[in-house]
Amino acid sequence: MPSRASGTRWLRSSLFLAGLPVAVGLAAGLTGSSPAAPPSQADAVLRGRQLVLQHGCAGCHGGVVSPAQDGWLVGMRGPELEFRIGPCAFQPGAEPCFRTRPRNLTPDNLTGLGRFSARQIFNALRFGLRPGETPDLEITSTTPGEGNHPLDPKYLAPPMPWPAFRHMPDAELWAIAAYLKDGVQAVSHRVDDSEGPPDFWAEAYTVEAIGPHPAAAFPTGNEVRPAAGSTELAKVLKGRELVISHACGDCHGGGGNPAAEGWLAGVRSPQMEFPVGPCIADSTKPCLMQRPRNLTPHQATGTGGYSERQIFNALRYGLRPSETPDLAISSTILGRGNFPATPNYLGQGMPWPYWRYMSDEDLWAVAAYLKHGLKPVANQVKDSDSPADFWASEYTVEKIGTYPAPSFPTAHERRPGG
Amino acid sequence: MWSLLLLVTIADTLVSPPLLENRSREPNTVEVTLTATPTRLSLVPGVETEAYAYNGRVPGPTLSVREGDKVIIHFRNALSEETTVHWHGLHLPFSADGSPFHPVGPGEQLDYVFTIPEGTAGTYWYHPHPHHRTRDQVAKGLYGAIVVRAANDPLPPLPERLLILSDNRFLVNGAVDLPARRTPQGRIDFENGREGDLMFVNGQLMPTVRIRSGEVQRWRVINASAARVYRLAIPGHRILHVGSDGGLFQEPVDTSEILVASSERVELLVRGTGPPGSRSVVQDLPYDRYIQQTRPPDWERPRDLVALQYTAEPPIDPVTLPATLRAVPALDTTRVRETRVMVLTQGFINGKAMDLNRVDETAELGASEIWQIENLVGMDHPFHLHGFRFQVLDRNGVPEPYPSWKDTVNVPKHTSARIIVRFDDYAGKWMFHCHILDHEVHGMMGILEVR
Repeated sequence: MPSRASGTRWLRSSLFLAGLPVAVGLAAGLTGSSPAAPPSQADAVLRGRQLVLQHGCAGCHGGVVSPAQDGWLVGMRGPELEFRIGPCAFQPGAEPCFRTRPRNLTPDNLTGLGRFSARQIFNALRFGLRPGETPDLEITSTTPGEGNHPLDPKYLAPPMPWPAFRHMPDAELWAIAAYLKDGVQAVSHRVDDSEGPPDFWAEAYTVEAIGPHPAAAFPTGNEVRPAAGSTELAKVLKGRELVISHACGDCHGGGGNPAAEGWLAGVRSPQMEFPVGPCIADSTKPCLMQRPRNLTPHQATGTGGYSERQIFNALRYGLRPSETPDLAISSTILGRGNFPATPNYLGQGMPWPYWRYMSDEDLWAVAAYLKHGLKPVANQVKDSDSPADFWASEYTVEKIGTYPAPSFPTAHERRPGG
Repeated sequence: MWSLLLLVTIADTLVSPPLLENRSREPNTVEVTLTATPTRLSLVPGVETEAYAYNGRVPGPTLSVREGDKVIIHFRNALSEETTVHWHGLHLPFSADGSPFHPVGPGEQLDYVFTIPEGTAGTYWYHPHPHHRTRDQVAKGLYGAIVVRAANDPLPPLPERLLILSDNRFLVNGAVDLPARRTPQGRIDFENGREGDLMFVNGQLMPTVRIRSGEVQRWRVINASAARVYRLAIPGHRILHVGSDGGLFQEPVDTSEILVASSERVELLVRGTGPPGSRSVVQDLPYDRYIQQTRPPDWERPRDLVALQYTAEPPIDPVTLPATLRAVPALDTTRVRETRVMVLTQGFINGKAMDLNRVDETAELGASEIWQIENLVGMDHPFHLHGFRFQVLDRNGVPEPYPSWKDTVNVPKHTSARIIVRFDDYAGKWMFHCHILDHEVHGMMGILEVR
C-alpha cells in the first residue's frame, strides 16, 4: 500500500538514512495554548480523529489512511510490519538489532489502551513515556527526576515520532487521547512487545539529541519575521508548529530544530537521499532515489517561485508545484474542478496522503510559514527519481483512501459514551 | 575404599533449619524468641559475608505450629536499622502482620501474637517487610520457614523435607551484591528483580537428598527468592503436586513440572521411581518471565538445585496414598460485594506508586470480593495479598481446574487472573503488592483498608 509505504518510508528514511539509531527528534515548536473553555468530549474526539489522520498514526498502527479500513489502529498485524532498529537496519544480521512493533491503540483493556488514562496517553505523546512503565501523574517538567518526570524515564520505542508530536498544543494531545479512548472500537489484538536496550532508549532521547520542549523561540537564524503586510504572524507561527509537529525537517533538513543548519533546505548530502521502489523488498531490484527538496523560499532552488496555493495543493492533493498550474482545485476526481487529468504527484516518501487531512486553515498556515517565515537558502536539490506516471498508479483512492475521510463513526469507531 | 566413597557420595547433606524452641508450657501455645542480628557468616564457602540473621543463622529457624495454636513471638531487632517480621500467608490481626505500618526500630522489641486458624495447615514463611528495605534485608539473610500442621493430616507419615529456595549474588569480598539503583546492574535488578547466580537450598549449594527406591517423600518447597520463578522438575520423574500456599489440595495432581513464583509455596510428593544407586537432579528449568530489554543472557540455562541420590538398598513397596486429601470448598461467587480491577504495569498498580499515607481500596469486614488482576506489561508479576487467603477463579478466562488456597498468584506477562477473597475477622490496613521484592520496595504496592 503506497500510503503505508510512504508513511513507513518517511519514518525509515528519517531514522536510518540520516545514520541515526533512533528517530531524529524535533527541537522546535511553540508552547501549547489551552482553549478558553474546554471543548466537549464529542468535539475533542472529532478533533482527535483529524489529528490521528493527519499525523499518519494508522500508517504504522494499522488501517493506513481510512478509519473505514479493517485493522484501524489495532496495531501491527504481521511481522513484515516490524521495524528493525540498530545496525541491522543497514546490514542484515548486524547487532544489536531491536525489533519494534506498533502497538494496539484501540481501547481494549488487555491488549490496547483501555486501562491507560487519557493522561498516560498525553504523557506518551508529550514526553515519550511508555504508559506501562510510567505512573499516572501530571508531569510538569521535561527534566528526568523533576516535576513527576521519572528519574529513569522509559521511552516509547523508535520510530514512534513523539519528539515531533510533543510539539502539538496540549489541547491537541488531549484530543488524540480522547479519540483513542472514546472514539474507537476496542479490538482485542495482542502485539508483541517492542524490543530495546536496557535503558529504554534513554540515551537516545536526551535533550541534546532531540532538542528542548518548547522549541527555540521564533525567529531563529534560519527564520525571518514576515514582511509587513505579507501575512499574519499568528498564521506563520501556527505553520511553524505544524511543520515541527509533522516532522518535516526529518527529511527536508534540520531535524526538529529550526535553529539547526540546513533547516528545511532540502538534501545537502547523499545521506539525506533515500530509496523507494522494488529495491526495498529485494536489494537486487532497482531503486528510485528520493531527494527531499528545498522548502525555503529561495527563488531559483526553493519554493520562492511557487504560490502559497501551489504549496497548499501539494499538501492537500500531492500535486507537484512544478508540474501543476496555480489554480484553486475543487475536486479530487481526475480532470474535474481543476484537478489535472494526468496528475504528477510528489515523490513517494512524502506523506501527503496524511498531511491532506489537515484543515484548510492549517495547510495555508504551513504555506505561509514556508513562504514568509523562512530565510531563503540557495540549495539546488536534484530531482527525485519517479516512474513515468509520476506515481499516479500508487495514489488511487483504492490505495490511499478518500478525501475527505469517511464520516464519523465508521464501523471501527464509536461515538463517545456509545 | 570404594564402600567409603559410596557412603560419602550418597550422604544426605540437606540440612533443615532447626525449629524455634517453644518456651511455653501451656497447651496449644507456642512461645518463641526471635532476634534479627547483624553477623558475619560464611554464606558461600571460603569467604565471610556481612549478613543479617534470625537467631544467628541463615535461613532462620523454622516456626513449627499446629492449627489452633496461640503463637507468641518475642521479636527483638538487634539490627542498626528498622525492620519488621511479616508472617507471609498467615491470617492474623493487622497489628501482627509485620507490614510497614508497624516498624520495629533498632534495638526495639515487639511481641507478635496471633492464633493459627483451623484449616490452614500448610507451609508459610517469614521475612522482613519494612518500608523500602525488604529486598536488602532478605538478601542479607532474613528469611525462614513456617510449618503449620493439622491434627488430621490426610497423608500417611512420610519422610518430610523442607526446601527453602533462595538465589543470591556476592561480590569477590563476600559482600552481598546490592548495586546502587542507577548502575547498569542496579537497573537490571530494578527491572527484573534481583536474581543471583548461586542457587541456595536451605542456605546450601547443591545439597543431596537421599531417597530409597520405592520410597515416597513429602517435600515442602518455599520460594524465598526476591524475584526468580522456579520451574521445578526432576528429570525422569513425575511429581505429585499435593498443595500450594495455603496447604493441601482436594486431590493430588500428577505432573512433570511445577511453577513456583517468588513467595509461593508448594507441597510435593517425590516418588522414588528410579533404580537403587541412581542419581537425579532437581532442576529449575528455564522460564521466560522477563521483558526483552533486561532478559538475562543465560536465562535458557537449566539450573541444578538439589541432587537426588538413590540409596543402594533394594526397592521398597510404595505406600498407598489417599485419592482425596481434604475438602477445599470453593468460595461463593454469588455473594460478591465488590469486583475490583488491579492493573499491573511495570512498577505500578493502577498507575500509582505506593504511599503509606493513602488508602487505595476500602473493603467491608466479612465481605467477599473478586479482584481482577490484569498484567499489561511483558513481565510476570506475582501478586500477593496480606492477611487473607484467596482462591484463583480463572486465569486469562480459563477456569482454575480445582480450588486451592493461595496468598500469591503469579500473573504472567500480558495475562489476567481473577481471584475471590473473603475479608474475615480482621480489620486493618493490608498491603497488596508485587512480590518481586525490587518492585515492592520501589512502590508496586497498594493499601487495602478492611473495616
